[in-house]
Amino acid sequence: MAPFTIFRALFGYLFLVLMVRIVGRRPGKQLTPFEFVLIFYLGGLTLTGMVGDEVSLSNAVCQILAVAVCHYSLAWLRFRSARVAKILDGVPLILLEYGQWRTDTLSRMRLQDDDVMDMARGQGLKDLSSIKTAVLESYGEISIIPVEEEGG
Amino acid sequence: MPEHAFMSPIEDSVPKVGEVAVGEDLNFQRRWWKFERAIWLFFLLILAADVLGLFGRGWLAKAQRTDAAQTVTLDYERIERASTPSIMTFHFEPAAIRNGRIELYVSEDLIKPLGAQRISPEPRESSMGDDGITYTFPATRTPAIAEIQLQPSFPGLHHFRVQVIGGQPIDATVFVVP
Repeated sequence: MAPFTIFRALFGYLFLVLMVRIVGRRPGKQLTPFEFVLIFYLGGLTLTGMVGDEVSLSNAVCQILAVAVCHYSLAWLRFRSARVAKILDGVPLILLEYGQWRTDTLSRMRLQDDDVMDMARGQGLKDLSSIKTAVLESYGEISIIPVEEEGG
Repeated sequence: MPEHAFMSPIEDSVPKVGEVAVGEDLNFQRRWWKFERAIWLFFLLILAADVLGLFGRGWLAKAQRTDAAQTVTLDYERIERASTPSIMTFHFEPAAIRNGRIELYVSEDLIKPLGAQRISPEPRESSMGDDGITYTFPATRTPAIAEIQLQPSFPGLHHFRVQVIGGQPIDATVFVVP
């Protein structure tokens, strides 16, 4: 039944959006093999339920259009409402500030000092004391703002 | 300076933490962490319910009914999954055999909404009527078993009736989950 397949496609899309948001962000500029497995596996499992036994081209086109409309609507809502943007993307979180760790944030986001130092090394910093602020961005990367050198 | 219609001055719209415009919202994040904890618990409950068979194919889903005249015992799943095959088994008692045969009536609901695919063993005769099909199997002694493979197409609550001719009807309900 056509409405049912459209509903399945929308449910699959929204369910995956929720799952990816809940599973959490990991630091890094690229996906790790661990995350590759997660994303492809979740996608594959969702596909089985979305398509079912209807393998026609018209079903595929209509489901893709339904997902596209749903995605556009979410993007529009995200643009119009800061609250929706926070729910969909999350908010940046400070991990380190003026030589102090935000331990509660680190533990809740399942991050360690190594993860911050990984990113700091990428910017040519030698140790954690060279970092003024470290921010876990909503897209998973850790931004490092180095301590300004005196007279610099 | 010329004025452009689609330009506006930069404002400090992103909240600062110290000197850096981060836009951190710890109150929101704390509520989100609470929501995450609740939803992980919900996921665990869903998985536990699935293992127990609340969504079919498990201990809670299995059901057994015997008709009042003790002619047949029916093993079926009270919770089925859409587009997923399952087996409904009829265990016939000696009282089911009349004149060297067993006549089994199954209602139309079992054929269409619950998607009866095939019946084993092959009945000698099938006749339509009374909103269903009556299958005739040659039989001489028990134990005698017949199986119907189901594959429901649509989710929802479906009622069906089966009856061995000469016995009492069994009315049952199957809930098909998406």
